[in-house]
Amino acid sequence: MVRAERQAGASWRKTACGLLLAALTGMSPLAAGQDAAAAQGEATLDILTWGGAYERAQRRALFEPFTEATGIPVRVHRYNGGLKELRQAAKEGSIPWDLIDMSRSEAKNACASQLLEPIAPEILHASPQGEPARRDFIHGALNRCAITHSVFATVVAYRRDAFPGRRPTEIDDLFNQQDFPGPRALQRGPAVNLEWALLSYGVPEEEIYRLLSTRRGLSLAFKRLDNLDSIHWWEAGDTPVELLAEDRVVMASGFNGRFFDAMVNRDLPIEILWDGQVQEHEVWAIPRGARESEQARQFIGFATSTERQTALAELIPYGPSRRSATIQVANHPDHGVDMRLHIPTHPLNAEHALTKDDEWYANSHERIDEYFRQALMTEGTSELP
Amino acid sequence: MAADTDSPTTPPAEPQAPQNAQATDHSPSQGPAGMLRFLGLVLLGAVIGGLSALAAVGFVNAVIWLNDLLLISPRGRMMFAHPEALALATVAVPALGGLVVGQLHRAIRERRPHTPADLIAAVQTRRGRLPFKAGLLSAMSGLVSLGSGASVGQYGPLVHMGATLGSLGARLMRMGRSDDNVTIACGVAAAIATAFHAPLAGIVFAHEVVLRHYALRAFAPVAAAAIVGHVIATNVLSQGALFHVTDTAVPRPWEFAAFIVIGGLGALVAGGYMHAILAVGRWAAKLPVLPSLRPGIAGAVLGLVALWVPEILGMGQETLRFATIQGAFSSLDLVIVLVLKLAATAMCIGMGFGGGVFSPALVIGTLFGALCGTLVTQLGMADETFVFYAVCGMVAVTAPVIGAPLTTLLIVFELTGSYVLTTAALASVTLASPIAAQLFGRSLFDIQLARRGLDLSAGRGRALLQNTRLKSLVSQECVILNPNDRVQEAVTRLGEGGHGEAYLVDDRQRYRGSVTLADLEVMRGKGQGHHRVRSCQRTPRPVLSPEASVWDAMHHVQDVTGEAIAVVDDKAGDAFLGVVYESSIARAYLKHSEDLRREEHGTG
Repeated sequence: MVRAERQAGASWRKTACGLLLAALTGMSPLAAGQDAAAAQGEATLDILTWGGAYERAQRRALFEPFTEATGIPVRVHRYNGGLKELRQAAKEGSIPWDLIDMSRSEAKNACASQLLEPIAPEILHASPQGEPARRDFIHGALNRCAITHSVFATVVAYRRDAFPGRRPTEIDDLFNQQDFPGPRALQRGPAVNLEWALLSYGVPEEEIYRLLSTRRGLSLAFKRLDNLDSIHWWEAGDTPVELLAEDRVVMASGFNGRFFDAMVNRDLPIEILWDGQVQEHEVWAIPRGARESEQARQFIGFATSTERQTALAELIPYGPSRRSATIQVANHPDHGVDMRLHIPTHPLNAEHALTKDDEWYANSHERIDEYFRQALMTEGTSELP
Repeated sequence: MAADTDSPTTPPAEPQAPQNAQATDHSPSQGPAGMLRFLGLVLLGAVIGGLSALAAVGFVNAVIWLNDLLLISPRGRMMFAHPEALALATVAVPALGGLVVGQLHRAIRERRPHTPADLIAAVQTRRGRLPFKAGLLSAMSGLVSLGSGASVGQYGPLVHMGATLGSLGARLMRMGRSDDNVTIACGVAAAIATAFHAPLAGIVFAHEVVLRHYALRAFAPVAAAAIVGHVIATNVLSQGALFHVTDTAVPRPWEFAAFIVIGGLGALVAGGYMHAILAVGRWAAKLPVLPSLRPGIAGAVLGLVALWVPEILGMGQETLRFATIQGAFSSLDLVIVLVLKLAATAMCIGMGFGGGVFSPALVIGTLFGALCGTLVTQLGMADETFVFYAVCGMVAVTAPVIGAPLTTLLIVFELTGSYVLTTAALASVTLASPIAAQLFGRSLFDIQLARRGLDLSAGRGRALLQNTRLKSLVSQECVILNPNDRVQEAVTRLGEGGHGEAYLVDDRQRYRGSVTLADLEVMRGKGQGHHRVRSCQRTPRPVLSPEASVWDAMHHVQDVTGEAIAVVDDKAGDAFLGVVYESSIARAYLKHSEDLRREEHGTG
C-alpha cells in the first residue's frame, strides 16, 4: 500500500509538475492534500452529484471519510443529470463545482466539447493485492476526461401486488398490458426506452444500436411505445419510486439503486425485473476551470480505491468499476442484506444485460431526441408526473 | 459468355500437373510411418484452421471498421450529423470503391477476382496449388468492395482466403495434390466455422461443396481446422448470432406443407438470382467501357438508388434481422427491397465488384420467406410462426445458390439450437435443392464453371479427364513419311521401326493423313513400289488437337482400330505434333482413376 501510494505520488507529480505545491512538498498526494488544506485553510471541494439515497451513500462512504483523511470539507450540490448547467456555467465563465458525478455518455459529449479537463490514469491507486489500476478497472472505465467509479443499471420495477398470480419475467412484459395491465412510468427521453422497445421484438442485445440506427428500427421502437396506454414520463430519479409507492403506476423504469433503497429501507412492495437491464458507467469528471482541480484529482484517487468502492457498493447497490472491489462486496452494514445479489454486474442479474452505447448517444442524441419528440411527445399523450 | 470462356480454368503454367503429382503422392499410407504422416496432416489442418480463422476475424472486423468509417453502416450513418455530406458519401464511396476494385483486378491474370468456383475447380480437377498473389488480391478486392458498401457477400472472400492459405501450407510443406486438396478444405472449413460460429456447418460445407466426397483421410484434418476456427471465433469475434429465435412456437402440421411449397418457389427465386448475376456479367462484357471502370459505374448507380432505399447497401445484416420480425416490413416494402436487393447484387457482381453471393442470398431468401409469412398471416392462418417462414425462405434460396442443402440446414441448427426450426428448414430444402439443380444447375459455382468449360455435372472422374490435356501424352516415336517418298522405302522404314502405320507430313510440316503398312504392302505387291506414297490409299483417321482432353481421346479410341492417333495443331496450319498411343491414353485413364480412388477411399 505504501509502495503503491509512493508510485501514485510520483506519477501524480509528473502530471502536476507546474504546481508549486507538489514540487515543493514532494510527498504522497494524501499528505500533500493535508498540507494544502492546512495551508489554504478554507479550501472546499464542491461536488455536483445526484440526490436521494445515492447522495446519502456517497456522503457516508466517500465524502465524510475524505474529509476525515484530508481535512478538506466537501460541499454537495445536486442535479438531475444533463449538461445544461455545465454549458451555462462555462458560458458565464465561472464554474461553481470542482468535480461532477455524471454518466459516461454525457462525459464523452462534454469532453468532446472541451468542457472537461483530461484526467491521467496515474492518479488512480493500485488494488490492495498490488494489481495496477489499468488492469483492475473494467473495460471502458478509463477515459480521457472521466474515470468510471460505478456501474448502475436502469431497470424496470413493478408492484408485487399488481398482478395476482403472475409476475413479469421478461422485458417484453413492460409492453404487455394485456397480461400485466396498468399504467407505466418511463423516463422522459429516448434512452433506454428505445432499447427496451426493440428488445421486446426478440432482437439480440448486440444488435440493438445497429438496428436503432435505421429508420425501420426506430419506427418499430416508437410503435411499441406508442401502443402503451397511459405513460407517466418522469425526469427526477426519485419520481418512479414515488409513483410506485403511491400506486399510481404498476411498472416503472428507474435506477436500480433507488429501487433497492425503496425495497430495503422503506419496505415498499416492489420487485426489480433484471431482464433487459441497461448498464451505464457513472464517472467522475473535472470541469474545465474548476477552482480546486488538484484536490478533485486527489478525491478521485481516494474515492475509486478498492476499499472506498467496496464501502459504497455495500450501502447502495451499484457495481464497482474495479474487479478487486466487486469480489469484496459483502452485506449491508446496517440491515445485513447480501449486496452481491443486488448489484447489476452480478452474474445472476447480468444474464440479459445491455451496455448503453455512449458513443452512439454522444454522436446522435440530437437527432434521436428530435425523432423521439416528433413520434411520441406531440400528441399530448404524455402526462407530467 | 465471352467473359467466361476467355478465362480458362487450367493455368497454362502447369499443364503437366498430374505427372508431377505422381512423384510426390507415392508415400506410405499404411503402418506407423503412414500414421505419423497422417497425424502431421491433422496438425497442419489445425494450424491452417487457426490461420484461416484469424484471417477471417481480421477481415470481418476490417469490414465493420470500414463501414463505420465510410458511412456505410447504419450506425455510422446515424452518428454522422450532416445530411448533405451523407448523401454525397452514399454515392461517392461505392463509386470510388469500385474504381479501386477495378485497379486491383488489373493485377490478376484473369482480370476478375477469384471466387469459391476457382477453388472448387482446383480441387475437383486435382490441380490444387491456388495462386497466392491472385488470392491475396481477391481478398483485398472483397475487402474494398464490402468496405465501400457494394451489395456483395463476405463469405465467398473468407472461404477463398482460407483455401488460399491452406494451399500455401501444402506447397510450403511440399505435399502432393491429394494433400493440397485436404488443406484447401481445411482452410474453407475454418473460415465457415469462424464466420458463422458453426463448426459442423464448416466441416460439412468443405465436404459438400469443395471436396464432394467423403474420406476419413480428409475428415480428420478438416474437423481439426473447424474446431480451431470455432475456438478462435468464440474467443475473439464478439459478433452476434446471424439470427436469433426466442419464441418456442410449434408450427401446425399443415404448415410443413407450406414450408415445402416455399422451398419449391424459393428454388425459382434462387434461379432468378443466379441468372440475373450471369446475365449482367454477359451484358457488362458488351459495354463500351474499360473493364476496370465498370465496378465504379456500378457503385455510383448503387449509391444513387441507396439514397432512396438504403437497405441495398452492404451485406444487409440489419435487413436480414428486420425480415425475421413480424410487422417490420409491409408486403409492398418486402417486394421492393427484395427486387432491389436482387438487382443491386446482380449489378455489383456482374459489373465486377469482388465478393460473395451467399450473404445477399441470405437476405433475399429471408425477405422472400417473410413475404410468404406475411401473406399467410394476412389470410389469418398463422400468427406465432412468422420466423419459421422467414427461415424457410432463407434456406430455400441460399441452398441452391451455393449447392449446399446440408450446410444451410446445419447453419440454421447451430445458430438457433432449435430442432423444430431445423425440421421446418429441412422441409423447405427438400424441394428447393433438387428443383433448382434440375432447372439451373447444382450451384452458381457449377454454372459458372460449366460456362468456363469445366462441366462437373457428371462427376469428378469425368471432369478430371476432361481437364487433363493430351499434350503430355504426345510421343514422337512414330514413322513420319514425306508424301514424295517411294512406297518401297516406306515399307522398309515401317518394318524397321516395327510399326503398322505411318504419318504423312509434307515439307511445310503439315499433316497430310496416315497410311497403313497393309496398304503399302498391297501397292508393292501390285508392282507399284516406285510410286509416291501420296498415291496410296489414305486410311480415314480422326486427329486430335493438342488442347484436346484425355476424355476426348477416350472417345476417339472407341472408333479407332489403329495403334495411335495423330495430334495436329489446327491453329498452326495443321502442323503435325506427334502421336498419342492408345495404350498411353488407357494408362492415363487408369492412373487418374487410381489417384481418385486413393484420395476418396483411402483411410490414412
